[in-house]
Amino acid sequence: MPAEARKSMIKIKPKKYKTGDIVKVDFIVIHPMDTGLKKDKKTGEVIPAKYIDSITFKLDGKPFTTMKVWETVSTNPYFSVNLKVPGKGKITVEYTDNTGEKNSKSKKLKPKD
Amino acid sequence: MKRRNFLKNLCAVSALATVATPSIVMGKDEPKQKPKGVNAMSYDAALNAITGGKPVADSPKVSLTVPEIAENGAVVPVKVNVDHPMEENNYVKAIHILTTKNGNARAADVMLTPMNGKGYFATRIKLGSTQDVVAVVELSDGTFIKASKPVKVTIGGCG
Repeated sequence: MPAEARKSMIKIKPKKYKTGDIVKVDFIVIHPMDTGLKKDKKTGEVIPAKYIDSITFKLDGKPFTTMKVWETVSTNPYFSVNLKVPGKGKITVEYTDNTGEKNSKSKKLKPKD
Repeated sequence: MKRRNFLKNLCAVSALATVATPSIVMGKDEPKQKPKGVNAMSYDAALNAITGGKPVADSPKVSLTVPEIAENGAVVPVKVNVDHPMEENNYVKAIHILTTKNGNARAADVMLTPMNGKGYFATRIKLGSTQDVVAVVELSDGTFIKASKPVKVTIGGCG
């Protein structure tokens, strides 16, 4: 299970872009986003809340979007923001959940000029 | 048999929705007693926490895209586009996604910077029942604008 919890993906849309273009940066992560309200069907016990509570999008270490998220966001969440491509760089997305689990994912930004 | 049940539910929900919508406008309906989550917060309290009591006006600058009917409340796509420049001193500072009837009204607070180039945010949220999704946008000059849209939910998604 822990290996699965670390799965995440960054997608840049469209695939071909130039410096100065505004691209979509999609961040998808495999995460249960449990609300703490659901009961386990077998044991009848309440599944404790486990959700991502903060996400930071960084470009070369400089944050450009920060998010506070609650359990209202769906299971295996998807977040999409825009980014104006300033040139070559590296996008890093760091996320933390309410249990203190920290993870990050990176992707290179390669504009085709 | 399944189809029959589905149609029955659909009818029930749409009937409920037509009854419920005027009461939202009137603001008279009492919230039902449901188990409360760890972060339970009402819509009014959440809105107040964001704006600090400042007025929030509906604006055509905010375009909120949600499905009219969500068959599955567990996955409701929400897209917000803000028609506002993203310059050094004049930009979209934050986009807040709120729901009117979920146990925890808040879904996401997104802090943007001029580096984003455009005021855009998309995600997927859970909706427990038929309700409104509200996008509250904070501009860099401290003003708040919003857009809201109702979503009919056939099967609730907050378990």
